[in-house]
Amino acid sequence: MTAVTGSPPSPGGWRRGLAKLRRRPIASSGFVGVVLIYLFAPLIVMVAFSFNSSPRLSFPFSGLSLRWYEEIFTDTLVLRAFRRSVQAAVVTAGITGVLGLLAALGILKIAKRARGFILAISAAPLAVPGLLFSIGLAIMYRQIGFERSIWAATLGHALIALPFVFLVVGASLERFRFTLLEAARDLGASRWHAFRTITLPLILPAVMGAMLLAAAISIDDFVIAFFTAGQDKTLPLIMYGRVLKGIDPTLNAIGTVMLLLTTSLAFMAARRTTIGER
Amino acid sequence: MAGLGTVDRIEPPRIDDSVSLAAEALVRKRRRDRIVAWLQLLPGSAFFFAFFLLPLLGLLAMSFFSLVDFEPVVDFTISNYAEVLTSSVHARLALRTVQAATIVTAIVLLVSFPFAYTLNFVFRRHRQLLFFLVLVSLFGGYIVRIYAWRSILGNQGVINQGLMAFGIVDEPVRELLNSMYAVGASLVNFLVPLGVLPIYAAMQNVSPGIAEAARDLGASRFRTARQIVLPLSMRGVRAAAAFVFIATLGEWVTPRLLGGTEDLLIGNRIEYYFGASLDWPAGAALAITLVVAMGLAAFAIMSLMKRLAR
Repeated sequence: MTAVTGSPPSPGGWRRGLAKLRRRPIASSGFVGVVLIYLFAPLIVMVAFSFNSSPRLSFPFSGLSLRWYEEIFTDTLVLRAFRRSVQAAVVTAGITGVLGLLAALGILKIAKRARGFILAISAAPLAVPGLLFSIGLAIMYRQIGFERSIWAATLGHALIALPFVFLVVGASLERFRFTLLEAARDLGASRWHAFRTITLPLILPAVMGAMLLAAAISIDDFVIAFFTAGQDKTLPLIMYGRVLKGIDPTLNAIGTVMLLLTTSLAFMAARRTTIGER
Repeated sequence: MAGLGTVDRIEPPRIDDSVSLAAEALVRKRRRDRIVAWLQLLPGSAFFFAFFLLPLLGLLAMSFFSLVDFEPVVDFTISNYAEVLTSSVHARLALRTVQAATIVTAIVLLVSFPFAYTLNFVFRRHRQLLFFLVLVSLFGGYIVRIYAWRSILGNQGVINQGLMAFGIVDEPVRELLNSMYAVGASLVNFLVPLGVLPIYAAMQNVSPGIAEAARDLGASRFRTARQIVLPLSMRGVRAAAAFVFIATLGEWVTPRLLGGTEDLLIGNRIEYYFGASLDWPAGAALAITLVVAMGLAAFAIMSLMKRLAR
């Protein structure tokens, strides 16, 4: 790689050969490969073990089986937690979708200075660790006498997901051609009619993507639910409890189900919001 | 442009009233637009106020409350701060936390920057797909990931099984799990995507032509990255450093599940106050102290890195 340094101008063939060598960076592929393996290895191991028929977490597999899935899908505790997690995710997506879209539409039309201020403030939850926000939320609920419940946790999820939805939808609105809207208004369409028939269909993929992301954030959350959900245990809380109790082979299956939920939501969200941008 | 030919068929409008009428209508429309805009911002802002600013204010207020019979009572005392600031346990935990956060941040940056660089400049054609994988891993499985490390690092875990199968060790290496190494491996694991994200975003503003020119003029890949790309994407690197450092300072689940009984961080102490000990005011005071320390730390990192970039 350093061979190029200080090389004199040379005839075409040699130089092209060198350039080709440069374009096939083995070290770079190796590096990216190692990092990706490191990022995904724990997850791959866990998914693999969820199909292991023996309760031991060791290689070689004694056989493939679905017994852990059978166990969790007949476990009412897990099923109830699963339902709660999904409910929280759906409600989070709904709240953030409406609030985020409205705010993203609103911020376009206000003065530049106010816009910068609101954008900066809206990103603040991203810089506050989940622990601090969660205990603050728990304190507020206690002071106003709001019982710990899945609803209490869901409102917290909506708050941390809102900046993502707001920023993602806002970014897609920035590429939106407002002349279309003006043309419709000039041709006599009402504000609402123009929004429903022009703006909404065009930005819907981004809004849906952002809502899927919000759902993924909600399902993935552990810390907020830990401090505010009380007895309404979500899937991550069930996992935490079982990890503390010791080795439990059903954990691999629960983890795999959660992983499938969050990554498929994140995957769909990322496809809707990043691909096609360029 | 094609429509220009039709203009001369329209009668020239009388300037005096129609223009002022149109201007007036425009001003009215603008004003109405602005009112609608603020109305659209209202629900989100109210939600933000009620569920973000109020909780943080509640946390601040709680730190001045006093504890009577395990119940926080409205008060204005600084005894909570005195208690948490003078505890030698906290000093030790704080030191370890800052140490851990510094090491984790350094490792994450050392992985994330080259990774983002390689994505953006070496594998330019596949960068969408690769970035996509990173993005998906960012939103997939916080607790799942922490748990999964147990099955890799445990006594019966993949690494120990491998080491024993190859006869490198006879007994499982117990230090892999329930140690600071396990906590570090897991923290770096889920913070790398968080580090790649802002650095990669900042690199989008660096024209690939600049890097290519440096390479053509004979600079090595390392020198191009260090002297051309790094200064131009410093904003992203700073953001990544601050994100990762702050995330580690507030971390408590990873040390709880992967660290030993001794290897805890300051976040575990806050969790203890809110959980087992039920001393919310002291926990709040410790949390506020952490926020202040974090602000100072973020500021210090920013200015330090600004100086390094020069």
